[in-house]
Amino acid sequence: MRITRKLALGASMLVLLGACSTGGGSTSVPSAAPSAGGASASDPTIKVGSDGFYEAKLMAETYAQALEAAGYKVDRTAIGIGARTVSAPALESGQFDLKPEYVGSGLAFYQKGAQTGDPAANQKALQAILTGKGGGITVLDFSPAADQNAFVVRKDTADQFKLAKLSDLAAVQAQLKFGVATDCSTNPICGAALKSAYGIDVSNATKLAACDTPMAQALKGKTIDVAELCSTQPDIAVNGWVVLADDKQTQPADNLAPLVRNDLLGKLADKAGFEKILNAVSAAMDTATLTDLGKQISVDNKDIAVVAKAWLQSKGLVK
Amino acid sequence: MTVIDATAAWLTDPANWTGPNGIPVRLAEHLGVSLVSLLIALAIALPAGLYVGHTRRGSGIAVGIANVGRAVPSIALIGLVLPITQAFDPARGFSLYPTVLAMVALAVPPILVNAFAGIRGVDAEVVGAARGMGLTEPQILRRIEVPLALPVVLGGIRSAAVQVIATTTLGAIFALGGLGRYVVDGLAQNDDGMLFGGVVLVATLAMTAEGLLAGLQRLAARATTGSGRRPRSRASLARPIAAP
Repeated sequence: MRITRKLALGASMLVLLGACSTGGGSTSVPSAAPSAGGASASDPTIKVGSDGFYEAKLMAETYAQALEAAGYKVDRTAIGIGARTVSAPALESGQFDLKPEYVGSGLAFYQKGAQTGDPAANQKALQAILTGKGGGITVLDFSPAADQNAFVVRKDTADQFKLAKLSDLAAVQAQLKFGVATDCSTNPICGAALKSAYGIDVSNATKLAACDTPMAQALKGKTIDVAELCSTQPDIAVNGWVVLADDKQTQPADNLAPLVRNDLLGKLADKAGFEKILNAVSAAMDTATLTDLGKQISVDNKDIAVVAKAWLQSKGLVK
Repeated sequence: MTVIDATAAWLTDPANWTGPNGIPVRLAEHLGVSLVSLLIALAIALPAGLYVGHTRRGSGIAVGIANVGRAVPSIALIGLVLPITQAFDPARGFSLYPTVLAMVALAVPPILVNAFAGIRGVDAEVVGAARGMGLTEPQILRRIEVPLALPVVLGGIRSAAVQVIATTTLGAIFALGGLGRYVVDGLAQNDDGMLFGGVVLVATLAMTAEGLLAGLQRLAARATTGSGRRPRSRASLARPIAAP
């Protein structure tokens, strides 16, 4: 009896130890030989962090894996640390070093109303503010991928009225039912912007919370024909909806860009190479891909690390 | 500007009393939805409650339905029903029908329970005496039980009315009009005046309904038993009942 119990205890401890060492966690094993711009032995561990929602965590994980493939050591403790009210001060205080950020919303966090429809302008303004924060934070190149307000139609509506961009809507607006955000009448980027830039009148539109489920359900069930959603919302991918291009740039541009603390950059042996890795990841991502990856995570319930790895491999950014 | 100032300013601004988003229109919409929901609930719950109370059969089922109805959150019910009603009618089936259905589900339990409890609470001796005098079951229900149970039944309707008026505000989340529009839009636009103005209006409407029905309840109590209290002693039953 006692021997059997000891054996059982020993066996279960072995299993536990085995499970612990094969689990994920913050330690990592470099998977390939360091490529150009790779890490050297003197480089510190890069502490990667992000906001709490899945899209931010996905981008952080993607940057983390790209860095690991180049030989850097990465600490993922701060990924999903909290909303911007938490993650921004944490980055400034040095709790972690690298964070994916949306250039429009990130700018608005520090200076309300400053964001525009031009991502380059937003990035520049954000950089100007962040140079003076936490000893200096660098905003690297922004990605084509953006998660911002989007006006979306069903595929059959797009085909019927030949819709590809918002400018196409004015001519046929009488035949379409619009769904807009509940604050549209008082929000300059909504009612006023649509009227002045595109000649679209949404004063009688159905009012629902933008980017939320009732809005998506209204579009799905044909209660409305044009919905105000977020450009990377999984509903768009799941239902095959069409995002109308904001050709007059009325909506604040919220392209993704990595933020990196200057004190980390200063300690790296190959700063240029490090930045090149991150910029390559940003450049390879676009809004449609981000939507699809988001769908895989939030609808198909795939693991974020798995989705990130598959995408990086498909782009040849890791082996 | 304090919240109270902002609310007072919003309520007294004449611009808020005109137009398709003005208070009279929203008030009418709100009353309309609440009233329709209450009437449907009455049509379902009153007959059922009176039947269960009079025959003393099926009370277990009635209580079960009431408990389930109370337990399901209205907003969850709207969300569940929405895809179905939307398929039926994309326009009204998105905002109006789900909200009405959820409000009916909210109103049925108090009306049902109070109806059968009220009828059950009528003194069995009185009912027995009536039966002995040769009144038929429907006559007993109509002339004895309902008048005596009326205060309790009205109490259930009063409770349902207040709940429905207050909860119809949820419909605004799904683009329904009504006073909930001010609450939802006020939140979205960070406009305290609109938000609390809406709250004040809903509360006032609910309290008015409550007051009206409470008055009706008092009238009913006085009309049937004089002081509104049940007879204290059996001796009072010895007084002859008025000739039919």
